[in-house]
Amino acid sequence: MTVDEVKESSVGSRIVRRAEVEEFLYREALLLDEWRLDEWLTLFEEGGRFEVPTTDWTGWDAASGGAFVTDDYDLIKARVKRLKSRKAHAENPHSRTHRMISNVVVLEQGDETVWITANFLIHRYRDGGAFTYVGRYEHVLLVSDEGLRFRVRRAVLVNEAMEPGARLSFIL
Amino acid sequence: MTNHTQGALAGAPASPEPVPAGLGNALVEEDWDALTFRVHRSAYRSQSVFDREKEEIWGHTWLYLGHETEVPNPGDFKTRTLGGRPLIFCRDAAGEIQVFLNACTHRGTILCRHNEGNTKFFQCFYHAWVFSNSGELAALPGDDAYPAGEEFRAAMRLRTVPRVQSHEGFVFIAFDPDVPDLLTHLGQAAHYMSLTANIGPQGMQTLPGVQLYSVKGNWKLAVENAMDGYHFAPTHNTFVGYLRESGFAVTDDDQYAYDLGSGHGLLVLTGHNGRIGMVWEPRFGEAEKARTVEKRQEMVDRLGAERAAEIADASRILYVFPNLLLFDLEALTIRQLEPVGPGHTDVRAWQFVEVGEPQEVRELRIRTMVSFVGPGGLATPDDIEAYEAVQRGIEATANAADPRHDWSDMSRGMGNEKAGNQGRSIDEGAMRSFWRHWADRVGDPAGPATGAEPDAAAERR
Repeated sequence: MTVDEVKESSVGSRIVRRAEVEEFLYREALLLDEWRLDEWLTLFEEGGRFEVPTTDWTGWDAASGGAFVTDDYDLIKARVKRLKSRKAHAENPHSRTHRMISNVVVLEQGDETVWITANFLIHRYRDGGAFTYVGRYEHVLLVSDEGLRFRVRRAVLVNEAMEPGARLSFIL
Repeated sequence: MTNHTQGALAGAPASPEPVPAGLGNALVEEDWDALTFRVHRSAYRSQSVFDREKEEIWGHTWLYLGHETEVPNPGDFKTRTLGGRPLIFCRDAAGEIQVFLNACTHRGTILCRHNEGNTKFFQCFYHAWVFSNSGELAALPGDDAYPAGEEFRAAMRLRTVPRVQSHEGFVFIAFDPDVPDLLTHLGQAAHYMSLTANIGPQGMQTLPGVQLYSVKGNWKLAVENAMDGYHFAPTHNTFVGYLRESGFAVTDDDQYAYDLGSGHGLLVLTGHNGRIGMVWEPRFGEAEKARTVEKRQEMVDRLGAERAAEIADASRILYVFPNLLLFDLEALTIRQLEPVGPGHTDVRAWQFVEVGEPQEVRELRIRTMVSFVGPGGLATPDDIEAYEAVQRGIEATANAADPRHDWSDMSRGMGNEKAGNQGRSIDEGAMRSFWRHWADRVGDPAGPATGAEPDAAAERR
């Protein structure tokens, strides 16, 4: 099956095209760069997950190795609540972030989900420091008539390690 | 004023800073009459202090290298820089732990350029010299042009670190052949490592998924932070709030700090958090509640009630001077500090888990620990913010017109300490004992403190 055939395949009763996925990812990037975290949270289905594997990750599951982030839905909500607080010192004041997303590919679909990948390049600035986070997204998206939602939102870093000051206190 | 942090990070030498004569001792002042303890801020900023530490501490003390379970099989290896020296940490064909300098004996090329793997031989790409995983020079191209006989090959075997010893699977090395035995160095800290090592009936192990990150802060700020219960409530306000909402009321009561001697320190914390398998809290879920009861019985049967209670009932943060932090909290994390410059510290953190535990417990353990610690957790980023904010902030008083302003205060709880009471985690006693030992290591032998120093403080330096 070619990528084009996959792209045209239907999920349930409707077709998911790359343009729809791009629109979803671009809108998410906008919300995150503008720190509109309550709106960002609505992009997850109830029970969704958020994962940032460590830089030595080779594909193991959440029970087989450490991670930078392995949030269940309760923790995603706790993370958003924390980041909105002025007591989230690591992000008060907020970092400035600027996200570029490209190379969006619709990989595969199941009965109700679609698997996508995309590259990200995130520039972050804070306290006179500039940090670059490079990697790819590997998302599982729930498809409905209303649009797309995150079932699994995974950000896989290509960086070898977090450089000095380059913490993951924001949403990668 | 030059920003030393930026200078060090850029690879440029930090500008020289006048340091009070005597280094260590002159940088730590304690006065038991006035009940004040203070540290001169050049201890965090100065390149000359950093160079002295690297020589006097990193060059002459046992350093935590890694855990035996990182290299479980013959041929397994990890490469890792410790004290600025690139090393190979491996298990040889006979199953013995080996630690080599990761430099070809021929010209000094990095011998192994992979982070991890499994191999019988390490081959230098430059001139194709081959070394076995027990260090012998096994082959070199064109060896007819070298002196005949075994002498040359024997002289060119891989360089080992002078000392390698382990305790409970924790492997330590020393670059000084004359350091006392590891157990002598660990002293009372060895007992607390053993407590943690006995949590799992089949033992404990590290996992892949190592958090590698760096902070723009001096390594001693990371030590202070771990030994400082005073910061927990204000710095981790949002995390405490999260625990409270999940149904667990965090308290600072009944939490104590212990000076274990030789710079090692310990916080013993109850009411700080639950402990997976040992102290239940609501966010662990109902299945874990039942398992906690069963696991306690297993620990009592295996270890006796007293030992089981000592291991299970309280959380512990153990600092082993100079570079190991063992967090035995909700779950377990091993954290290693690698100073790179006065304002730059590399941090490595491993999940430490029970061998053979059920998958769902393992998943809960990792999720719970990672939600707290590491650069993507809900708490550690605020600690990192603190180290980095201190590192930036102490530029304000460098060479200040009034030199009294260039000191940081660590006096909290000295009255309590003088009275001979057990120090609380929210006092600063564990930081003081660290700094006393540090001062002795990087400075001349310690002079007497001003005023009558409590015997306990003096004898544990």
